[in-house]
Parts: sequence; structure tokens; C-alpha cells
Amino acid sequence: MAERPLQFLNPDGQLIEKSPVDLDRAVALYRDMVLARVYDKKGVALQKQGRLATYAPFEGQEAAQVASAATLEQGDWMVPSYREPAAMWMHGYPMELLIATRRGTELGGSPPDDVRVLPVSIPVGSHMLHAVGLAWAERLRGTDRVAITYFGDGATSEGDFHEAMNFAGVLNAGCIFFCQNNGWAISLPREEQTAAETIAHKAVGYGMPGVLVDGNDALAVYEATRTAVERARSGAGPTLIEAQTYRMGPHSTADDPGRYRSPDATEEWRTRDPVERLRRYLADQGSWTPEWQAELEQDGSALVEQAVVTAETLPTFRPEEMFDGMFAELPPGIAAQRAEAGAI
Amino acid sequence: MASRTLAQAITLALDNALGRSDDIIVLGEDVGRTGGVFRITDGLRAKHGAHRVVDTPLAESGIVGTALGLAVAGMRPVVELQFMGFSYPAFDQIISHVARMRHRTRHRFTVPMVIRIPYGGGIGAAEHHSESTETIYAHIPGLKVVVPSRPADAAGMLRAAIEDPDPVIFLEPIRMYRSVKEEVPDDSPPARLDTSTVERLGSDITLVSWGAMMKETREAAEKLAASGVSAEVVDLRCLAPMNVDTLAASVRKTGRAVVIHEAPRSAGLGAEVIASLQEHCAYDLEAPVARVTGWDTVIPLKMAEHHYLPSTERIVTTAERVLAS
Amino acid sequence: MTATKFALPDLGEGLVEATVIHWHVPVGGTVGMDETLVEVETAKAVTEIPSPVAGTVLQHGAGEGEVMSVGELLALIGDSADEVADAPPAAADPAAAAPIVGSLVETQEELAPIQAAAAPVARRPAALPPVRKLAKELGIDLTAVRGSGRAGRITRQDVEAHAQSNGSRASAPATAADERVPMSVLRRTIAANVARSWAEIPQVTAFDEVDATRLLAVRKTLRETRGANVSIDALLVAAVIPALKALPVFNASLDGDDLVFHHRHDVGVAVDTPDGVIVAVIHDAGTKSMLELAAEIARLSEAARARTLQRSEITGQTFTVTNIGAAGGNGFGTPLVPYGTVGILSAGRAKEQPVARAGQVAIAPVMPLSFSYDHRIADGALGRRFLALLVDTLTEPALLLA
Repeated sequence: MAERPLQFLNPDGQLIEKSPVDLDRAVALYRDMVLARVYDKKGVALQKQGRLATYAPFEGQEAAQVASAATLEQGDWMVPSYREPAAMWMHGYPMELLIATRRGTELGGSPPDDVRVLPVSIPVGSHMLHAVGLAWAERLRGTDRVAITYFGDGATSEGDFHEAMNFAGVLNAGCIFFCQNNGWAISLPREEQTAAETIAHKAVGYGMPGVLVDGNDALAVYEATRTAVERARSGAGPTLIEAQTYRMGPHSTADDPGRYRSPDATEEWRTRDPVERLRRYLADQGSWTPEWQAELEQDGSALVEQAVVTAETLPTFRPEEMFDGMFAELPPGIAAQRAEAGAI
Repeated sequence: MASRTLAQAITLALDNALGRSDDIIVLGEDVGRTGGVFRITDGLRAKHGAHRVVDTPLAESGIVGTALGLAVAGMRPVVELQFMGFSYPAFDQIISHVARMRHRTRHRFTVPMVIRIPYGGGIGAAEHHSESTETIYAHIPGLKVVVPSRPADAAGMLRAAIEDPDPVIFLEPIRMYRSVKEEVPDDSPPARLDTSTVERLGSDITLVSWGAMMKETREAAEKLAASGVSAEVVDLRCLAPMNVDTLAASVRKTGRAVVIHEAPRSAGLGAEVIASLQEHCAYDLEAPVARVTGWDTVIPLKMAEHHYLPSTERIVTTAERVLAS
Repeated sequence: MTATKFALPDLGEGLVEATVIHWHVPVGGTVGMDETLVEVETAKAVTEIPSPVAGTVLQHGAGEGEVMSVGELLALIGDSADEVADAPPAAADPAAAAPIVGSLVETQEELAPIQAAAAPVARRPAALPPVRKLAKELGIDLTAVRGSGRAGRITRQDVEAHAQSNGSRASAPATAADERVPMSVLRRTIAANVARSWAEIPQVTAFDEVDATRLLAVRKTLRETRGANVSIDALLVAAVIPALKALPVFNASLDGDDLVFHHRHDVGVAVDTPDGVIVAVIHDAGTKSMLELAAEIARLSEAARARTLQRSEITGQTFTVTNIGAAGGNGFGTPLVPYGTVGILSAGRAKEQPVARAGQVAIAPVMPLSFSYDHRIADGALGRRFLALLVDTLTEPALLLA
């Protein structure tokens, strides 16, 4: 277990180790991270315009999400929490459905059949077990598909974190536990969440490797996750990854971080910004220009706009739909209520 | 066809299910090597393999949450939780995910899972081993909650539960496990999970119950018959989503009803039954519907358990009171 | 000293039987308290059972490889000359062996099959409870009231209008000073049955008397020679059988426009209980001897008073006999024909009365008989013939031998 987090790019974007990825991969990661930032800005704006019910910003966590999800193959499972929209669309989840969920319709939870991403899970920590079951099922079926699950530092205090890690260890499930330690669980700082030196340390108790990684270094996140995915795919078992990052914004659009943390720390983390860090690296490599940046932002903006328009034109909700989603076949007692609701 | 106990019928249904499809996986605490605390899964691991009848770590939330992943991936997990009193650690998984995955995803991801839970008192067990909190589960939208009271029905219901595309809480009345028997086919067809059964025809009063209390309810009907009262007996069977058509038809005929359950009275499922009867057949009632239930107390340990569980005598007395009004 | 009978204990966790694997102590060998006596295998495990007492093993309950049921004698332990005593009760407490799971009931009850659904029943008159209450207070049968409410529901106004059209209240209204006591279930059942008989069966009653001298003599003889206490009820039932055979219409029932003649003579006997009269049924009374009838009536009477009669023992009579001797009076009455049958015979107590015998007045015990029957089915002459046959038989019980 590393005392210092795995890192390839320092905060200034200088390579301190040989890059684990080629330049094309780095460029691709950058493009998706810029899209992630555009999306996040748009999300905050939409909520303030009353077009989204609520939104959980993830500014600062673009590398952790984009670079980890980039290591998956089609057919692998993803079990997210609620702050990983970038990871979700990276793995095929339609962006308009993410926006639809935030607009307040279950349609957003229903991705196409070939997308193996579970919808956002709100109860903190409870969803990691599902990834264990998915990974186990794949092993029982004789495939080499793996499952990755995302959660925050707060989730590691939940009992289900322990049960999921324990089950994964015992069952040798091909599962990647990806913790985005963003420093805060709403208002509770990481130091008060656990007395452990790192969250990665906790892996020891479950018989699996714990990997500490600089979550704002896209190259390091990619390398750490790729290794864990490979391990899972080969049948060697689960891995816990702690990606150290920072939640630059509030917990949600309903939260005011000024009540519990000073702006100084946030400003300090701004100097370690993941997007800027990768930009400097690419610029040094001659693979970034201001024109390309403008183009990326413009294209990203158009993509998100299109997703918003699609989400906003989804069919409106009929009361009967509440009932139609409950069971494969509507039981008699509920069918009567459906008729009653429709008649009101 | 052979005469089998409730326990044997359930074992048989599990055995048949495991033989029918490789997607079926039985998991829980101690279900493999030792066959479960009630020996319901006895012999299944030896016959079907340790990868299909799985001893899990001791963590109910872990079992149910992991099983959800199995189910979403297309397996058919059949979970055993050892006692109803130990089902509560899994409650968050059940109410937050198992019950609502289909709704949350508009049928994209579903949870065809059975959670078997032995329940109820009357065996002088230690604390937490005698709970009857079916109301808690019946209150959760998205779950089917069923409870057999006869071996043949149990086999058919369990098969139906396993083949059901939605999650089913399958409650097993502990004190009936080995105390009732009847002819059970070697391979039962699936039974319906949305109806009740009129078990005994009568004309003066309807006695409705479910699970283990069916024993005392049957005895009460017999006693009432001896004094010339013709009691109709309804086994509710399917507690949620509740379908009271059969029961309401019975009460329309008799005009009188007593609901019997061992769970505490207040906010017990009897309240739902009576509210439904009031909605469906108030104009047919000759007398207020009465309840014979456990008390609003913690179920006491062995020495006082019989003061808590409704007795045949309590049912008869209550029925006579309803008949007299 | 007494030897100890050690029964195979319920080893807990729901077990009914065990297979003896190995006897650690042979017959004739000695065993100490809590020393291993035998190894058995249950459905769950192989277990060693320690001896509850010290002593010589006098007997094994089963050989190795044999299966035993819980509660059967496992071993007899003591001295060879000992008397036999039961094992300490603690060993039989199943809870002690099952600290976690508890003790499951192992006596298996074979469940009664589920009854097939009956034909649809006509719907009851629809009315809210307060309206039903009002109807009860006014003595009005709701089936006779036409409902004017939604879907034919009977309203308060309907009941009140019906009461007025009937002229007067059917019963005096209760006042605050009166005591209102609900009738028992049995009383309500009797009330309903009697009301139905009264309302639907046009019945008449024929009366006659029997010189019971010979009848009482036969009873005395049976008591003295057989030690049997033959009740009057038994004699009445025995006498009724030949009359029913001669005139089977009185062992029939009316079903629509058909008469159903019953081959069996299932004779109901009215039993007075503190709660009211219960009619207990002697099935196939025609095949029973006098002593058997007497024993059966005694058993049913006791069960009726204890309210432990089975449903089959209170339903399905084809004829009814009631002995009202204990009630005193002149012994005549007009018993009501139970619904579904054609006749009922009532007998009073035999009292000494002057009778004409061979031109002389003699004093003899005379028993009054009252016979009610359904006049739709039997004309007066037929009813008279039936009663005459009974009088003949009871006057000369030797006819029962014919």
C-alpha cells in the first residue's frame, strides 16, 4: 500500500513518471473531461433556472470519473451513486436520461438494453452490494465481465460498505470499489469520517489490495483503475481504490458550504485542478491549442444543450404510470387504484 | 404424491426449482453445509453443488444486497433469512432497492428474488425468534408478501414465487413446519399469488387468518360447528398486494367476520383487512368486524407466550360475541 | 429402589425420531450418571446421549440400526430386582435441548381438505348497521323490506315505512329501565329453527295415552338381569323404528315438490341442557339393539351437555323423539316438527291413573304421547295410524321382538 498516492502528473502538469498512456488516450481523456465540466456548469445553471429539481455538482472530480470509466469495456457493469454523471455517460448512459432523472421522472432510470449501468442510487453506501452480486453472477455464468461501483468518503462509514467489501473478498468477486474521496460528506470533513489514515487502508481487513491514487491526476486514475479491472477480469478478485479529490462546489444546489468550510481550502485545491493539470501536460506535448479548447467547449455545450432539449421533450407523466412500473403484471388490488387515480 | 409436512413441501419445492433452472441460486446463513436452522435446505448443497446452495457471511443486508445484484444480472436468487427478527438488518436493501428497482428503472432492471423468512411464535424460542411483523413488509409498495398454511399450497406458492418476475417475501410459519401434513404432489404446479382461499364453507360467520394462526382458526370453526354455528374459514395467503375479493364475497354471504392474526393489534394487517371490508361490504355487515390478535406488547418468552398468542378459545368467544350482536 | 425408564428425548430443533447407532453400555453393563449411554443419529446430527441416572442397564429399547420415535423407551436402568419408575422430568423437557430454535410441534395433524366452493348464494339485503339495528328493534325481517336506496339498499326510511304499513310494532320498545341481554348462540339457533318450522310447516298434533305397565316391567327386567339402565328415550326410539318402517312417509323429507324417502333411520333425541335444547342424532338407529341405543343415548346426552358433540352428531335426523317427562305437568304438548323432517314424537311422564282393564277399573302408569307431523305430507288418518302403531308397541313391548 502506497504511503503517497499514485501520481504521474504533478499539480503543474509535469510528468514525474513515465506516462502509462499514449498521447491519443490522454487527448481523449481531456476531451471528455472538458465535456464533463461543461455539463456540470450547465447542470448548476439549469437548476437555478428552475429546469432541474436538484443537482449534485462534481466540479473538481472530472479526472476521477472520466479516467476510471474509460478503462471499462462494453458488457462490464457500473453501479454509481449520485455524483457520477460523467462516469455514467462515459459507459454509455444517455446524457438526456441523467438530465431527465434530475427533472424528476423515472424515465431517466431506464437506459437502453445494451447499457449496463444501474441508475443513480440515493441511499448512501447501499448500492455497493449490488456490484458484488453483479460481479458474482458474471463469474457464476463463466464470463470475465467485471463490476465497478462508485461512492464517496461518507459511504465508507455505512455498514453496507463493510458488508460489500467483505462479501466481495469472500466470494472473490470481480469488483472494483472506486471511492471518490472528495473531502466532504455534506458538512463532515474526511478527518471526522474515519480515524483511519486513509480509506485505502481499509482494504486490508477484507483481503484485497487498497490503492491510493491522486484523483485529480487523470493518468494516475486511469492506471490504477486499469490495473484493478485487469485483476478483476482475470479472476484474481476485488480492489479498493481511493481517489483523493475535492468537491469544489456544494453538496447539492440546496447546500451552502460557507456554513462549514473556509473558501481558503477550496482555493488551495483549485491549484490542483484536474482539467487544468492535464491541459498543461498536453500543451507541453504540443497537443493543445486555444482554438481546440474553444471548439471543445462549443461542441460540448451543443451536446449538452441537445440532451437538455431531448430531456425536456420527453412525454409528460400520466398518473397511471405510477402503477405501471410496480410489477411485471399489475395485481388486482393495485389495478383498482390505477383506475381510481386515472379517474381523478 | 405423498403425505408431507410443510417443511418437507418447502424443501421439495426448492429441490425441484434448483433442478429446473441453473439460474436458481439458494443463499443465506448456514443454508449449505448444515441445511439451515430449520433444515429446510438440508441435502440441497450435496445434490446441487456448493455454488448453487451458498453459505454466506453472517450479514443480512449483505445477503439481500448481493442477491439484488445477482437478480439484476438475470439470476433467480432464493434468499433465506433465518428468522423474521433477523430480517431487519436487510430492511434498507429491501425497502430502498429490492422493492423499487423495477419502478425506478421503468422495467429496465428487475429483481426476481425470493426472500424466505421463517416467522411467528409458539415454539418457546429465544428473544427475536418469534416475531410476526408481516405488516412492515406488506406496507412496502413493490413487494409481494405471501404466507402458506398448508403443505400443498406451500409447494405451489414457493414455485410461483421463484418463477415470479418480481420480489416475493415468502413467510414460513415456524410452528407449522412439522405440525401439519397433507398430500403434496412430487412436483407442484405454481399456485396463484394474488388470491385467497375459502378453506371451509359456512354461512353464519367468516373467520379469516393466515399462516400459523390458521391452526387455531380451523379449530375454532370446528368448535363453533359443535354448537350449531356454521363458520366459513378464509386463508388470506397473499398479504400484499392484498386482494380481498374472495374474503368480501364470503362476508357478503355471512354478514359477520373475525380477523385473526398473531401480530400486535394496532396497525396490524387486520386493520387493513377490516378497512377493505368496510369499503367493499359495509352494507352487508350484520355486526362490527372483530379482531383476535397478539397484544400491543413485545411477544413474551416461552413461559408467557401462550398468554400472547391468540387461542382457539379467544377466537370462539369473539365469534360468539359477534354472532350475538 | 426403582428402575428408571429413560425415554428417547426430543433432542430439540424439531426432531421426531432417531436411529440407534451404537450402544456404549450393553445390557447388564453399568453406567454412571451423565456417562455416554448410546449414540444415535437424528435428521440433523449424530449425538451421544448421556444416562440420566447411574445403574445397571436392564434393557435396550432398540437394537443398533433400529429407528425409534421420540418418547419411546430408550433404556431401562437400575437393579434387576427394581420396580420401574419414569425418568426425571427434566430429561423430557424439549426446550432444554433447543436453546436457540425452540421446540417445534411434531404431532402432525392431517389437514382437512379444502372444501369446494358452493353455488352462489343469494345476496343478503344491503343495509348499514344502524338500519339493521333499527330493524331488529322493530322486529322487522329485512328480507321483506324493499330498498329504495342506491343499488337497492334499504334505508332508515324504508324500515320505518315498512313498520308503519305493518300497523304496529312487533315488540314493545326497550326503555332505559329494561335490561337488554343478547341471546346465546345456541338460543339464537333454536329461535331461528323454531321460527322456520312454525312459519313454513303447517303442522298438526295427535294425542294418545299408553298403559306403560309392561314397558316399565321390561325396563326393570333389563336393569335386574343385565345391569343396564335403559332410558325411556331408548325405549321410545326402539318403538318408533317399526312404526317408521310401516309408514315410511314419516321418515322422509320434503324437497321442493318431491318427497325424499330415507332408507336409514337417523333418530334425533332432544337433550335438555342449561343453555337450551340440543337434538343429538343416533345414526342408523334401526340397526341397533336396545342396549346399544341406551348406551348411545347416554353418551350423546353427556356430550350435548359438555357441548362437545361433533357436527355429524347434531345434523341430519330423519325423525325426532323428545321425552318431556322431567318437565312434569300433564305431559301433553305440541312439539314443533324440526325443519327438514316430517314428524316428531313427544312423551310425558307415566303417571298412575285409573284404566279400564277387562271391564274392571285398575290403576296403572299411563304415559301421554303427542305426535306432530307435517300436514302437507300426511293426512290426519295417516297420523292417527302412526300413533296407534306406537301405542300398540309401547303397550306390549314384546311386539318389538316380532
